Amino acid sequence: MSGAAMTGGGAAGRLAGKTALVVGAAGVGNMGQVIARRFAAEGARVAVAGRNKEVLQALADELGGVALDCDFTRRDSIEAMVQGAADALGGLDIAVNATGWGLLKPFLETTDEELDRMYALQLRGPFQFVQALIPVMERRGGGSIIQISSATATIMFHDHAAYMATKAGTDHMIRTVANEFGHLGIRANSISPGVTETPMTAEAQAVPGLMEAFKKGYPLGRYGTSADIAAGCVFLASDECFMTGENLQVNGGLTLRGNPGKADIEASVAAAMAAGTGQ
Amino acid sequence: MTSTEAARKQGRLAGKTAIIVGASDERSMGFATARRFLAEGANVVIAARRKEATQALADRLGAVAVACDITSEEDLAALAQAALDRFGRLDAAINYAGIEVQSPILDVTADELRRSSDVHFVGATLFIKHMARAMAQGGSIVTASSLTVLAQAPGHSAYAGAKGGADVVVRVAANELGEKGIRVNSIAPGFTRSAMTEAYFGMEAVRRAFLKEMPLGRFPTVEDIAEVALWLASDEAFVTGQRIDVTAGQALRRVPLASEYA
Repeated sequence: MSGAAMTGGGAAGRLAGKTALVVGAAGVGNMGQVIARRFAAEGARVAVAGRNKEVLQALADELGGVALDCDFTRRDSIEAMVQGAADALGGLDIAVNATGWGLLKPFLETTDEELDRMYALQLRGPFQFVQALIPVMERRGGGSIIQISSATATIMFHDHAAYMATKAGTDHMIRTVANEFGHLGIRANSISPGVTETPMTAEAQAVPGLMEAFKKGYPLGRYGTSADIAAGCVFLASDECFMTGENLQVNGGLTLRGNPGKADIEASVAAAMAAGTGQ
Repeated sequence: MTSTEAARKQGRLAGKTAIIVGASDERSMGFATARRFLAEGANVVIAARRKEATQALADRLGAVAVACDITSEEDLAALAQAALDRFGRLDAAINYAGIEVQSPILDVTADELRRSSDVHFVGATLFIKHMARAMAQGGSIVTASSLTVLAQAPGHSAYAGAKGGADVVVRVAANELGEKGIRVNSIAPGFTRSAMTEAYFGMEAVRRAFLKEMPLGRFPTVEDIAEVALWLASDEAFVTGQRIDVTAGQALRRVPLASEYA
């Protein structure tokens, strides 16, 4: 049974006939993988890219797609990936950047090396990725570019400045792309998750009391899943979506309340530890 | 299996019941949304002040019609009850009720401010209240905002002021209603051809001035708005307290000055 037949949304799938590239899909079970699977389930042919060829190839085999190596800190690697995906799929309609580096480091202790790496991964890389995509999508007569951003590009979180600043910069880059390339039929939007159950946050999820501290910030009573983000991507990727230059907050209302402060988190963890050890 | 039967089983709103207010004209966002929702398998109740026009459209669509003045709490409570009586539940509620009010700030009257406020602020807020009360299993509430809340349009103090106030209420309501599984959002359409804006679309200079400010190179349509309402009404939007702009990218640019098309 093809992926599209499994969606239950009808025979065709909402992305039937589309081609999609998802970057940041080289971690087992990560957000990029969930997005790629959902795209395939909606009938798209997908290329998946990232740094671990073995994991990518397994996903590509599962989805009947293409796996591409990419070092997002290098222009030549990004360009080769985009070209490789376009060649393999016969053009690109949809491109998602789901890469990220969730560095937690106090502002005053953030090193020049960390800043350089963060800039390369989270601002320069996304910028160069879009530069490579525009001519490819122009030849196709349009397309949908989706940048995975973060709620923390808008709201605060401690010890996360390098990550947050580059995500905010990328959101604004996406707006300029929407403004300058809309006439080519290219739409560009970003999606801002909150805390999401992914391998990137696995360590945090394992700390007793930590996720409980976050949960209070979510009016809908739960934090997000990669499936929530993938659903937002399908919406933005489909031809029925006439939106561009938008930053979608797909985080259950987190921006209405905000993240807990450092002291709140420490107190929540301490309480959970005490309860866990019976003290 | 007909497409209707298939939609009722597998559509994106299969098993859901929706109320759509502001659907008394076939060129309206309400009508386009009702048609889209029905195609995705929802039960649909459409409402507007004009009972006969609404009933005629409901008959064409296969929807239920209810007369409703959005400024009346009694009407809103009865509208929600009508959906419950007929279909046993309420999952989605969309409010497009709107009136046109334009006056330069130097001339705007208390009457104009009150008329706009009654519909766009008081009405929108009471709509959220009564729809939420009827959503026992959670749901999604959407109210129409406007590009004019984020880009300045001349003469829109009464209109944009009230719409902007409703956007604040959307955030307050989202925060309060989240624990009941109710999501509350607004959609801000750009310059969209509809029953309300038809007169402006008749003016070539206005069309040209606005189109110049739209990166995507065409006007949003009522169908574009319906598509966003569909997404927000479905179980696929983990989104609450947001204003979703559907402006062809005009939110990135500007609203032309009156002198540019006068």
